[in-house]
Amino acid sequence: MTNKKAISIILGVMCFALTLGIFVQVRTIRNTDSTISQNQEANELRDEILKYKERYDNKFKELEQAEEQLEQEREKATQNDTELEQAQQKITEGNKITGMTEVTGPGVTITLTDGKGIATSTLNPSDLIVHDLDVLSVINELINAGAEAISINDQRWVLTTAISCRGNTIDINGQRIGAPFVIKAIGLPEYLAGLERVGGYLEYMKQDGVGVKLEKSNNITIPKYSGVINFEYLKNVEE
Amino acid sequence: MKKGKITMTITIGIACFALVTVMMMQFKVVNETDITAIENMQETELKTELANWKTKYDEINAQYEETTQKIEEYKNDEESDNEASKLVQEELEQTNTLLGLTDVHGEGIVITLKSGKDIAAISADDLLIIVNALKFAGAEAISINDQRIINTTDIVDIGEGAFIKVNGQRILEPYVIKVIGNQSHMESAVTGNGGKVDELQTLGHTATIEKDNDITIGKYNGEIETKYIE
Repeated sequence: MTNKKAISIILGVMCFALTLGIFVQVRTIRNTDSTISQNQEANELRDEILKYKERYDNKFKELEQAEEQLEQEREKATQNDTELEQAQQKITEGNKITGMTEVTGPGVTITLTDGKGIATSTLNPSDLIVHDLDVLSVINELINAGAEAISINDQRWVLTTAISCRGNTIDINGQRIGAPFVIKAIGLPEYLAGLERVGGYLEYMKQDGVGVKLEKSNNITIPKYSGVINFEYLKNVEE
Repeated sequence: MKKGKITMTITIGIACFALVTVMMMQFKVVNETDITAIENMQETELKTELANWKTKYDEINAQYEETTQKIEEYKNDEESDNEASKLVQEELEQTNTLLGLTDVHGEGIVITLKSGKDIAAISADDLLIIVNALKFAGAEAISINDQRIINTTDIVDIGEGAFIKVNGQRILEPYVIKVIGNQSHMESAVTGNGGKVDELQTLGHTATIEKDNDITIGKYNGEIETKYIE
């Protein structure tokens, strides 16, 4: 009889604890939502951001079309002159390398995800997370393996691209991105897949508990740069 | 008596299961919350984000204007070959500047680094971090020991840190990093709290930073070849 009582009490306490846990969770989630939506100024800012995003997206499409048209006009203007035709080809080729046009080709896709392991005394929780320097090192190795074009979460790697930590996210080309990080690279897939070698950075990350996946592909598309490179301080040396 | 016990156990079992399921679902929701989505940003973050998109829009808009202007010029100059040739040459020069195939000059800073004695030498990663920080601060052209940094430049240690290769070329100490860009932005990118140059100095390496109002950075002196991009 006393045994039965004890079981009832234990079960009661357990149920109470579980219910309490759920209530706390529900409240937390509801609270975060409600404080956000109640803040009118923040909401206006959100609207404004969405408006600018849309304007940007539309302009970006227009720009893509205009650039295609420009290429056609340039081709038309240079078709009767071998020297000019060569220059035209160099521009088109150069635009692919500098990231000013979308490119396709064979290559690899590397996906980096934050580790799911539970931090123990032997494992530093910070090691489980993908950091800015991790992404930077992977890109450096990809270039070393002959990558001709690279993107990180569809942000094209260009001359001025830097990677910087911003809290739990990474800042790239002025754009904020979070894990998982999908790095695409065009080049000889066999060379690029060499990043998985023993002693390479990917293996080092795996040991730290970060999720690493590398896939070869014959058809990878890397978008054009989403911004504009303007020089304010730099001038070409006159010849 | 026995029957009642079994029913009770089952009921409690189901109830516990349901509760645990709900809890798991909740944890998942919390986990899957996208911290980059604007719905989850605070006011200050939203302001930065807005300024960001405004700048991006302005830039892309200016670029659009420029492109349409070029199209017009090509159209207008269809008859005279001379004008078209000038336009093409101008465009080619812009492309070559972006590729790093032109000699450039402008204001900036020169960083000189030399490894300290009895400590691990300055590594390729150190240089990579410095280049990244300079780019983030708006560097417009960079070279290390006259190797121009282009978008396909790699900086790697060879033979367990015996020496460093930039653009596949071996470079030797002292490392001279030339940067064109806003002088104070360039300097603060590598100094102060978290600045890599200051950090290297604290470790015992020698580092100097000099401002220069007219630095010349040579062009990339290799061939940029592509085989796989289309």
